[in-house]
Amino acid sequence: MKKAVLAAFLGAGISVMGSVPMLAHHSSAAYDRDSDVELAGTIKEFQYTNPHSWLMVEVVDKTGKTVDWGFEAEGPSTLLRAGIKISSLKPGEKITVKGHPLRDGRPAAILVSVTKADGSVLSTTAALRRGPGGKPVETPSSL
Amino acid sequence: MNALRAHPAVAAAALVAAWISVPAIVSAQEYAKWYQQSERHFLELKQKAGGGTKMTWDKLPDWTGIWAREGGTRFDPKVPNYDPKTTAKLTPAYQAKFDKKLADQKKGVEWDSLSYCLPAGFPRWLTEPFLREFIVRPEEVWGINEQQSEARRIYTDGRGHVPEDEAYPLWEGDSIGFWDGDTLVVHTINNKEGQYNRGQPDYSDKVSVVEKIRKVNANTIEDDITVYDPLSLVEPWHVVNRFVRVTTPNLRINMWSCEENNNVVKTPDGVTQFILKGEQGYRDPNKLISGPDEPQTPKEKR
Repeated sequence: MKKAVLAAFLGAGISVMGSVPMLAHHSSAAYDRDSDVELAGTIKEFQYTNPHSWLMVEVVDKTGKTVDWGFEAEGPSTLLRAGIKISSLKPGEKITVKGHPLRDGRPAAILVSVTKADGSVLSTTAALRRGPGGKPVETPSSL
Repeated sequence: MNALRAHPAVAAAALVAAWISVPAIVSAQEYAKWYQQSERHFLELKQKAGGGTKMTWDKLPDWTGIWAREGGTRFDPKVPNYDPKTTAKLTPAYQAKFDKKLADQKKGVEWDSLSYCLPAGFPRWLTEPFLREFIVRPEEVWGINEQQSEARRIYTDGRGHVPEDEAYPLWEGDSIGFWDGDTLVVHTINNKEGQYNRGQPDYSDKVSVVEKIRKVNANTIEDDITVYDPLSLVEPWHVVNRFVRVTTPNLRINMWSCEENNNVVKTPDGVTQFILKGEQGYRDPNKLISGPDEPQTPKEKR
């Protein structure tokens, strides 16, 4: 049911993604980590804030209706360690964004990755928390 | 009775009063025994160190830099991050609480006090996955976690714990320590009750901790931790945590405000939920200084 609702927004497939972003400040139980959304849209706003950042994306669904989606991510220092700067995502940019959606069907998700128009990918987990020599020092801890 | 209190005579009388206030689940004798265990542990380490190294500026170890906890958020890093197991030997009451927590979590019922913008507190402080720094002075060491700018103060100037009649549960506890060469040995009491992290057991406000903290190489600080808690543990819990140097270019620890963008609420059935932008009660991070366009109703206050 939830996936059907999401599919109506997307027109994009639901796939299984192995990585689980970390949300250290609150429970992520409201998100369905077994479901994924992948949306094409335009960045409205990038709230580069603590305790969490939010990427606001304007998405046009298959009926032509505009829906504002919010993608939640970790705070600035964690994103910087994953290579995501405040200047990395600018309002007006066309992107494709992946995440794990809310269970209740509202338009929000945990941010997993962003693919920019030039094909480059920003991932909240791929480069997360690197130590000396690029060795990962932490693992995602979402519960 | 209590060798680590600032005023032993006052402490003896206060300890009797403390016994009376100990919950029925643990006897006064048992609490005293457990407290003495952590105290004895710390004092034995101090005796072994010949009373501790007199620390001067030129002898201080170099713990400068930015550090992050190695591994996930499990208090015992030997346990995989998503594994519901714990290596703690819990009392029946705390095992039951832990079992219920895991069952609720499976049903999506979970709330973290951090979402009220409260500190993690100690010993949970040890598990938080944020940036840290250590400020080392001869008479005091600070351990600062980026989250909530949460600082532990460890006094190494020879003082004892706060007298018992002045003591009360603190977010980071009451920490005293000494140096054994380049190892910082710490005893922490007077903590608030809490949980080691989400999906992990709880601890009581009777928890006390002995730590041996040492920089084992240029990029690793090791914390050897023994937790004592007569209410939650049937035996002391020993784990080893490591903090690893973070070298991301231009990374700094900045002031961290939880209220900056915290649109998380607890539902009546204990579920963590979000107020999304455009919904009633949403607090826009772009309007922190000016405040919301419309006054929040009491229902919306969190």
